[in-house]
This record gives sequence, structure tokens and C-alpha cells, in this order.
Amino acid sequence: MGREVSESCVESLLTEMVSSYCNQFYANKPELAARRIEAIGYDVGHRLSERYTMERPRFSDHLEAIKFICKDFWSELFKKQIDNLKTNHRGTFVLQDNRFRWLSRMSIDPSPENTGLSQDSSVALAENKATQATNMYLYFPCGIIRGALSNLGIPCAVSADISNLPACSFVVRIKA
Amino acid sequence: MIVCVAVVGHQNNPLYIQSFTEADDALKLHHIVHCSLDVVDERVNNPKKAGPTLNETFLGLLYPTENYKVYGYLTNTKVKFILVTTDLDVRDADVRNFFRRFHAAYVDAVSNPFHVPGKKITSRTFAERVSTIVKSFGLSSAG
Repeated sequence: MGREVSESCVESLLTEMVSSYCNQFYANKPELAARRIEAIGYDVGHRLSERYTMERPRFSDHLEAIKFICKDFWSELFKKQIDNLKTNHRGTFVLQDNRFRWLSRMSIDPSPENTGLSQDSSVALAENKATQATNMYLYFPCGIIRGALSNLGIPCAVSADISNLPACSFVVRIKA
Repeated sequence: MIVCVAVVGHQNNPLYIQSFTEADDALKLHHIVHCSLDVVDERVNNPKKAGPTLNETFLGLLYPTENYKVYGYLTNTKVKFILVTTDLDVRDADVRNFFRRFHAAYVDAVSNPFHVPGKKITSRTFAERVSTIVKSFGLSSAG
């Protein structure tokens, strides 16, 4: 009975949401924009977890809930599972997706804008800017994961980090 | 006949409670629902007693009183559904089926972006859907 949503619409919506928050509402306060975007993700994750856990028994421990996020939840959202799950068995989990759908069409402007600077530093500058811009797009999925886990009774903090596009890993730290 | 259904949040806060009787006994039914919360807690915290139904969402018969039978259901997100009925011989399958449909209605209600999580469910659509489910309860076994 699943309903379908156009993938390109979702991606456009995400792009527009990030750009509205970063360039219009909170143009000079990137931290505030990030917090707002994360909060929207939290709400979405909260509701989605309610729906996707409907037909299954209750989870007995944290690992089971995390596995649910990696397998079923991720499949519902991105039509694939998380590629790699690591844990230190003390409340930190690293979820790695080798081809994160929302980053798969992300590209970095190859032409360095500032001709005044030396080649190396301008490339570094451009890369730095690109990383910052890409990071903005990861607050939403981070919020989704945090919302889903908190609704399952696991308060946590989620951060993301990009190693090389479009691979991406999410670090979940469960609060004791 | 189902006389009362309730949705209770993870902090035991009431999210939705509705009685289906003509008589003025809402307070009594609320009391019964309130009492059942302790039984739910007990079931969940002592999984050994629960036996084979370990971690299942359907908790089964919570406790029988003189006039009522009280059934419980606990979702993964620690939301409790309580069902109070006057029928004496209820089939487990019917109750399971009821809770499954009730859960689906609940999920649709909380997916509404205008619903604030943790607040009471005020949706009229939800109320209508619940009363339809309540009316159709047990019809399959009777007919």
C-alpha cells in the first residue's frame, strides 16, 4: 500500500529548502540555518519512524534499533541499505553510505574564482567553500536519523562527515 | 461491544480517549484505562512473565474486571493503545486485527504535519475512522 513520491521532487525540495534557509532567512547566521534545517529533519524522522516500525516487534536494545535504521528505514528512504556499520560498543555508531543518494548529484565548481591568489591556495579555498556548502545539505538527513532514534526512545546526537563524494558517514552518539 | 479506546503517550500522557456508551460513565472508563497503565508497565518490565509474546506489540488481555475486559498494545515508540470491551468471549484474532487497524489510523493521524507530537490528537478524521473501526469490531465473528 506504499505511496510513491517523485525522487527528483524530493531532491529539488531539499535543494530549495537549504538555499532558502542559508541565503534568505538566515543569510548571515549559518549556524542558525543549520539548526533550523536539522529541526525539520527531526520532525520528519520522528513521524517516519512511527510509520515504518508499525508491523514489527519492539526493539530490545540499541543495536537492534540502529540496525533497523541501517536496513529497513534506509531502504524505505533511499532504496538501499547502509553499506557499513561500525561501533565501539560504547554508544557510538558510524553508519557509512558509499553512495548517498542526496549527494550523488552534487558537484564542485572546478574553476577557481580568485585569480589574484596563487593556484594552490585558491583551489584550497574553493574546496573549503564547497565542503561548507555540501555540509549544509547533510543537516537534514542527520535530523531524520536523530528524530527516528529519539522516537524509538534513544536520545542521541548525530553528525555527518564527507570523506569523498558521494560517500558519506553519519556518526551517532547515544546519550547515556 | 467496545466501550472505550485510548491512546496514551510514552510519558503516560493521554493523547486520545473516547468512550462509546450512552450512559454517563466516562469517568469510570477513564479510571479503568488509568489502572491498566500500571499493568502495561509491569508486562514490559518483567518480560519473563510475558512468555512467548516477548517484545510483541500486542500485549493481550491486561486484566478482567467484573464487567469489562481490558486489552493493551504497545508500539515501538512506546505509545500505548488501550481497549475496554464488555464482550466476555472475545477472540484474540479480532483484538489483534482491531489494534492493527487502530495503529494504522494513529500513524496516519500523527503523520499530519499540523499535529504536534506529544499533544492530544484533535483530528476529526481520526475520530471518524476510529468509530468506524470500533463499529466493525467483532462483526466477522458474529456474522
